Amino acid sequence: MTHAISVAGLSRSYRGHLALDRVGFEVATGSVTGLLGRNGAGKTTLLRILAGQEFPSAGQVLVCGASPAESDRVLSRMAFIREDQEYPDIKVSHAIRAASWCYPDWNAELAQRLLADFSLPPDRAVKKLSRGMRSALGIVIGLAARAEVTLFDEPYAGLDAPARQLFYDRLLAEYAEHPRTILLSTHLIDEAAGLLERVVVLDRGRVVLDAAADDLRGGAATVSGPVLAVDDFIAGRSVWERRETGSQASAVIVGPLGDAERARARSLRLALAPLSLQQLVIHAAARPAENTLEQIGA
Amino acid sequence: MRPLVNVARLHAIRPLMYLGLPWAITAFSLAVNLVIFGAGPVSNTHRYTGAASITFIFFLFMGVSSVGRTLPFGMALGVSRRSYYLGTALLAVTLAALDGLALTILQAIERGSGGWGIALHFFRVPYILDGPWYLTWLTSFVGLALLFGYGMWLGLVHRRWGQPGSLIFLAAQVTVAVAFVLLTTWAHAWPEAGHFLTTLPAAGLTGLLAVLTAALFTGGYATIRRVTI
Repeated sequence: MTHAISVAGLSRSYRGHLALDRVGFEVATGSVTGLLGRNGAGKTTLLRILAGQEFPSAGQVLVCGASPAESDRVLSRMAFIREDQEYPDIKVSHAIRAASWCYPDWNAELAQRLLADFSLPPDRAVKKLSRGMRSALGIVIGLAARAEVTLFDEPYAGLDAPARQLFYDRLLAEYAEHPRTILLSTHLIDEAAGLLERVVVLDRGRVVLDAAADDLRGGAATVSGPVLAVDDFIAGRSVWERRETGSQASAVIVGPLGDAERARARSLRLALAPLSLQQLVIHAAARPAENTLEQIGA
Repeated sequence: MRPLVNVARLHAIRPLMYLGLPWAITAFSLAVNLVIFGAGPVSNTHRYTGAASITFIFFLFMGVSSVGRTLPFGMALGVSRRSYYLGTALLAVTLAALDGLALTILQAIERGSGGWGIALHFFRVPYILDGPWYLTWLTSFVGLALLFGYGMWLGLVHRRWGQPGSLIFLAAQVTVAVAFVLLTTWAHAWPEAGHFLTTLPAAGLTGLLAVLTAALFTGGYATIRRVTI
């Protein structure tokens, strides 16, 4: 398998603060990967380095097999849509036109369709757009570029739920028709969970989880019911969290559950609910990377 | 070459800024001068005004804004710092050559019309822009490019190191100038310096400015390579 993006030993420090700490991971060509983590985890710094906008303090970054820093050849094959993108004093149509010059696989027809989908007025000045509309402009450019590697950094800040759904739909349709490598950083984990084939979770500059999304689904569950029954059921299992309220308890257990165990839970009158990706990420962020993967069995 | 052309096109996407405004401002300044000097009593004395400098000052402004918010947008579209800088410099040099030519033509018209009929020296500046047409063109070209280059460097220093950086940058220039004055004084070299300056022909001055322009563009290039967005 070839890697569209490969990062090794990547660190970036700012005046004593370590924004990225020996980050390493790989993104397979033609996949959708979620870059997850809390505010300040280092997601944007990582993406800026991938896009050649920031310089690493140490380590190596390869995009399409070459270093992106100051390489027109690599950079023109990559689209980077960031939440806080600055625009000059131009109109929406100008921004679209400028983008069409810069991306070799730009699709003008798709751009026009997306502008209409997101109800973006082409003659409006970019600085007069609302936050959501400005995000939509980034999304239009990012999708119509049809770049081999597309990086989205929180691309839908300020967009309402229907518009976000539109983004997911268009992204999936585009990805199916014109496969490319997509790295999407987001806070809305459960919303985007359906799109993601792989997740990389950053916490305080470190990779704390890097796994296929399918391996994570069902990798952990919440079991709740009477205290005694819960304690009986979780005995001998990896437990991430246990809470007790009066005679009731609930615990987060990790590791695959077989049919026999599910039946046992039912007989103990325990409720079993799989942990959502978002909850899983929150728990994973609080633990060392190796433990999480080992316990989930991924 | 293609990224360079894209950058130049990106700047020119708003033609008003780079093509319209310099001449709108120059035309307005000329109109103001014509009204003021034309309203006074008719006389044969020549009227000198430094107002054509407005065109040059506007190039400084264009230089600063060329590395403003267009820079992060250009880089977001996959343009390297090097291509962005060279594309912008390409635009600057082309504009300086064209606008320098326009200034030369306007100067010829001014000369031919007896200073717009009222002996006004708007496009004719004694010593600097006073020679044959090709020297006027060359000097305007170098002067415009110099101010654009300086503005661009200042804008990049500001983007890289913020307001403290810009202030240190400006303070450093004053320091160099003061050091030059002090050195000349200590070496008792003022007579020689005076002799050099008074005998330097306009073409020689243009040559010195061209060297300075090249230095400014080099400084800007070294700075943009360190810019992060």
